[in-house]
Amino acid sequence: MSERGSGEVAGRGPRSLLGPRLAAIFVVALAALLLQQALQIGSTLGYSPVGPTTIPLVVATVLLVLGVLLAARCTLAAAIDADLAERSAEEEVATHWPTVLITLGILAVYALALNGFRLGPLVVPGLGYVVATALFLPATARVLGSRHLLRDVIVGVGVAVVVYLSFTRFLGVRLPPGVLELIGL
Amino acid sequence: MDVLGDLAGGFGTALSLENLLFAMIGVTLGTLVGVLPGIGPALTVALLLPLTYNFDPTGAFIMFAGIYYGGMYGGSTTSILLNTPGESASVVTTIEGFQMAKQGRGGAALATAAIGSFVAGTISTLAITFLAPPIAFVARSFQPADYFALMVLAFVSVTALIGRSLLRGMISLFLGLFIGLIGIDTLTGQARFTFGVPQLLNGLDVVVVAVGLFAVGEALYVASRLRHDKEEIVPVKGRLLMDRDEFRRSWRPWLRGTALGFPIGALPAGGAEIPTFLSYTVEKRLNPSAPWGRGAIEGVAGPEAANNAAFSGVLVPLLTLGIPTSATAAILLVAFQIYNLQSGPLLFTNSPDLVWALIASLYIGNVMLLVLNLPLIRIWVKILAIPRAVLYAAILLFATLGVYSVSNSLVDLVVMYFIGIVGFFMRRYDFPVGPMILGVILGPLMEKQFRNALQVSQGDLSIFVTRPISLVILLIAAAALFLPYLPRLLGRRRFTVGTGSED
Repeated sequence: MSERGSGEVAGRGPRSLLGPRLAAIFVVALAALLLQQALQIGSTLGYSPVGPTTIPLVVATVLLVLGVLLAARCTLAAAIDADLAERSAEEEVATHWPTVLITLGILAVYALALNGFRLGPLVVPGLGYVVATALFLPATARVLGSRHLLRDVIVGVGVAVVVYLSFTRFLGVRLPPGVLELIGL
Repeated sequence: MDVLGDLAGGFGTALSLENLLFAMIGVTLGTLVGVLPGIGPALTVALLLPLTYNFDPTGAFIMFAGIYYGGMYGGSTTSILLNTPGESASVVTTIEGFQMAKQGRGGAALATAAIGSFVAGTISTLAITFLAPPIAFVARSFQPADYFALMVLAFVSVTALIGRSLLRGMISLFLGLFIGLIGIDTLTGQARFTFGVPQLLNGLDVVVVAVGLFAVGEALYVASRLRHDKEEIVPVKGRLLMDRDEFRRSWRPWLRGTALGFPIGALPAGGAEIPTFLSYTVEKRLNPSAPWGRGAIEGVAGPEAANNAAFSGVLVPLLTLGIPTSATAAILLVAFQIYNLQSGPLLFTNSPDLVWALIASLYIGNVMLLVLNLPLIRIWVKILAIPRAVLYAAILLFATLGVYSVSNSLVDLVVMYFIGIVGFFMRRYDFPVGPMILGVILGPLMEKQFRNALQVSQGDLSIFVTRPISLVILLIAAAALFLPYLPRLLGRRRFTVGTGSED
């Protein structure tokens, strides 16, 4: 909620716009891919004057134009988006990338542990909801900066058990039992 | 008198023990998520959708309405005590509210917000009661071309008037439209944007997209900054009520805020954000003697009422036309689809029991929220003390649970996490996520109406401008799109408005 002027941005323009530029490239690349895909949709000339291709073509084309405009606003000095530059510069200072990457890693492991997975001919069974969740919560909390391991483990086990029982017993929603099944719970 | 009879019937349904319980659960959950920074009613309803598949639809909608209203009440708490707006429409509340809290008048600020929300919510619900049926009646004559125009207007009002950059809003919208197109075209059976992946043939589940965008994206964003941002919670000191003078200064702003918020929310002309800013400006001009910037109670009372009234106003186009004009309304539209209810003019004829019970529950929910918020506010404040690390770990846990419990599918989880990554970068570079979710939900409906309209006109595009209703709506949409830029275009000057807004 502070006053946002464009003055202070001038000094750190180019570097701070790296992120938005990558975003613009992503949008342009995606739009180009969509355009190519849209052109491949079989156009059945049915009764409707507007086939299945029309709207996808429009969406892809407009997205392409918007992506190019964004790229321009991140590069051309005359069109520079001061708000975005300032925002991006502030984010660069504040972001702690390892936290984001490790959190994503934990999420991936959590999903695999929950569900089990197949690796070629090898079928790896999941740990089940309770065990996977009881491990996930303290691990994530730790990455996000919590230093109370015991408390987090207790919360994790508590949430996992309560959710599992209430979902499977009362709401009739299936959650994988995993290892609990093996020990007969 | 018809309306009163219908409403009485609605109260009969809504006051049953079961439905009162649903309303209670809804408003409590809603307040809870409203208080918690970063998660809002849209996410909560999206997460609960899969769990309510087996519910009676009336009960489910009463609960959703409770969450919707509760989220607004709870949001003011975070703005006032944390200086962190829970959602974009609470941004204005932080200006004076946080100052009041720092001066030890947090109790009065919370009280004027809660009572103002109650006043605005009740007046707006009255307006819904009497406005919705005639609008639904008129809307019965709407043709596909008119619906197409209405959807264009909804897109424009959400994209152009929310957020700081039209360009970024449009990119968000069109990314959403792309996601909405994924899957098999219902009319011709052609696979579109599936990239040869069989799992994409059925399209992306809206719940997966919404939870990924709102929950995972937001949690990742907060996680990336946890080491940098330090929050200051101002303890609530002293009385939780207003004194006579504070009440005297509050009631007019409440009414003016309601008068601004409801029509703007209902029109649809830009959700809840614009009226809160308008209300703040109006109060500032009308009460020049108030201590603006140093805790003027008018600056909390007016915008909070406007916020609440606008949120209620959004229900008018949703219920009568089936057009959502906010992210939460879009999720509610999905709920209608899931229960096979046709949200729109026919809702009042086909499911009158449900609609009137829903409207009656809005009155009940408002009373519950007043009770829940005034005396119990100290309990809600305790929730703010939950350590951020545990809170956001739990949000990721519940997001995973919500999506995984639908179909026990690993693919869904991967898609959700990927959309979460997209959401993280959108949040980071100030792309509003509201237009995207609206694009996902409304895009397929818009395409359908577009094609229907052209089928009626046998391919003649002029149908959109020769039908008076559709022409007028399209002109309003064009005005909403270009009016904010008019001063800039005329003056060739850049205006930078000092308003943070993210939703």
